[in-house]
Amino acid sequence: MTVSWLQNVSHACFGLSYLLAWLLEWPAWLRPSWSRRCHWAAVGFGLVGLVAHTLFLLVHHPTPAVPDGSLLLLAWVLALFYLYGTVHQAGRAWALFLLPLILALVGLSLIVGWLEPTTWPAQVPLWISGQRFWGALHGTLILLASVGISVSFVASLMYLLQARRLRRKIDPGRVLPLLSLERLETLNRRAIALAFPLLSAGLLLGLVLWHFDQRGWENWLSVKVLSTGGLWLVFGVLVYLRYGTHVPPRRLAWLSLAAFALLLVALMAAHPFAATGGSV
Amino acid sequence: MNLRAIGCNVTSAPVALRERLAFTPPLLHRALAELTARYGAEAVILGTCNRVELYLARPEVEAPLHAPLLAEFLGEMHGLSAEDILPYLYEHADEQAVRHLFRVACGLDSVVLGEAQITGQVKEAYETARQTGSTGSLLNTLFPAALRVAKRVRTETGIGRGHASVSSAAVDFLLTVFDTFTDKVVLVIGAGKMGRLTLQHIRELRPAAVLVTNRHLDKAQRRAAECGGQVVPWDQLDEALIKADIVLSTTGAPEPIVSRRRFDEKVRYPRAGRPLVIFDMAVPRDFDPAIHDGESVILFNVDDLTRVANEALAERRRHIPAAEAIIAQEVRQFVLDWNRRKDGPIIGRLTAEVDRLRETIVGPLLQRFNGKLTEADKAYIEGAFRLFQNRLLHGPIAALQEASRTGQGHSLREAIRKLFGLNDS
Repeated sequence: MTVSWLQNVSHACFGLSYLLAWLLEWPAWLRPSWSRRCHWAAVGFGLVGLVAHTLFLLVHHPTPAVPDGSLLLLAWVLALFYLYGTVHQAGRAWALFLLPLILALVGLSLIVGWLEPTTWPAQVPLWISGQRFWGALHGTLILLASVGISVSFVASLMYLLQARRLRRKIDPGRVLPLLSLERLETLNRRAIALAFPLLSAGLLLGLVLWHFDQRGWENWLSVKVLSTGGLWLVFGVLVYLRYGTHVPPRRLAWLSLAAFALLLVALMAAHPFAATGGSV
Repeated sequence: MNLRAIGCNVTSAPVALRERLAFTPPLLHRALAELTARYGAEAVILGTCNRVELYLARPEVEAPLHAPLLAEFLGEMHGLSAEDILPYLYEHADEQAVRHLFRVACGLDSVVLGEAQITGQVKEAYETARQTGSTGSLLNTLFPAALRVAKRVRTETGIGRGHASVSSAAVDFLLTVFDTFTDKVVLVIGAGKMGRLTLQHIRELRPAAVLVTNRHLDKAQRRAAECGGQVVPWDQLDEALIKADIVLSTTGAPEPIVSRRRFDEKVRYPRAGRPLVIFDMAVPRDFDPAIHDGESVILFNVDDLTRVANEALAERRRHIPAAEAIIAQEVRQFVLDWNRRKDGPIIGRLTAEVDRLRETIVGPLLQRFNGKLTEADKAYIEGAFRLFQNRLLHGPIAALQEASRTGQGHSLREAIRKLFGLNDS
């Protein structure tokens, strides 16, 4: 395996692997006799996708400061979550819900990369080598918070679907098995409880960095900053509603979906302080 | 194959007779031992609440066991007369008996189509017989095959999909709401018989507590004693509803005991959005259906659960042809494999005997022409004799396999044994 060969690993390699993994989970549910073989084949393709994804990140060093880089990194962390959840709980629903999100993030990364091409550093980027430690920490905190928000999004989607089925009293034995409402609610609560402090710390660190960099106020009006600020506010409301009041979980689930939409906007927007990806 | 499946089930015999024919564990062991000792038969007895069946295999040289003889045997075991039993017995022979067992193990012969419980009962019946020592080569092949077929049918068709009984549907709905039950409180309202099985299933989930309330304290106490619950006075129903996570209501009240207004005013707010699953098994209903919101209060009444069960049954019925096709294929394969197994030794001995004869002729022949034949000539002569042998044996072997397939193998095996002078050693 040479470096030049690794250079050929592209979005298509891991994107198609994830797509195949997702498609293979469907017949496993639709036809019981194919269940085990299809499920493990899907896990195999998921693993291949994750390996290709990891190789791509190692070779191209995408930075979280540029939109396509942050989307790819988030997709990679979620792919880890997908494989862990699928193997650990053997839950097809987890794969069926999480894989489209990973695919969407990879697709968006590709589209954003086409629309606004950025140059990723040929060498190990500065944020990894430690020369911009605080900037790297800021990015990592936001990225981890994004993972929490994404998990909360998937849990909320499943929750809404499960609640809808229960409202209509649909036989659970004849539809795609999902996690219980109680478990989804716990998952959502934990994801939010982890994501909010990480997001707050990341934003606070960004604020401090901005102060020391002595940048102009006009940068604060960028889409990235405004949407991230909006995301923090929505999350603040979510945390308050969850712990301070007795708002029905369904409403909280809808708010989690809104928070994820804001997260996507924030990830896709250009970072105001990052001149080029390579310098970050 | 000398196999018989003789018994009665829910469609052939009334419940009173099936109850009389039920085997207690000691009687079961005794019956198995008797069948083996008295008739020299391999035996498995399958007894469930819906059927009593005896699977009996004997050596092919012996006469098969028939229903009248088994009626006498069952009568003797249970203190009944054979005449009272015989009209209700059915009998399946050989291939049909195999097919019957496969259908039973798959749940195709069950009252609740596709039920999974019967597979476990078949396995248990076989294990008991095996431990008693009443099984032999045929039943030791047949029953594992039946369990494998049941698994195959269940995974390759939708015959077991969904919940075809009210209680299993109720439990599955619970599993879509709650993840753990050890911290949940179950409230039983009323002492009606409806929902007893559902309560039994819910208790298997090991809830933290079972509360029982009833207008009549003595009835509540009796029910609490039955299910290991704590009695809650009737006038504290609202408080109990606030505490509960799962409610099973079975009163005989002529009108709803919990209206939407009462629930909203006294129960909903203090519960702080905690999910409550209510199974209203009473007719007329105990809970106003309007309190169902699908999230914090999930209310199922008898009609809901029955509808789910009926839909599942209808769905399962769609898979009967696929299941029957698998069973037909598996029966054919089983009979073929069994006959091969039975024919194998005699075919082996026949081939060895003709091999020996061929060598006694070819060997001296080649000796006689020693020095006059090349190696190629010798190989050609040996090949020609081998070809003659194969063509000679093809007819008897094919006829034997065909006869075995149609159940006539035994007489032909005997004929071959005599014609070719094959002994058993």
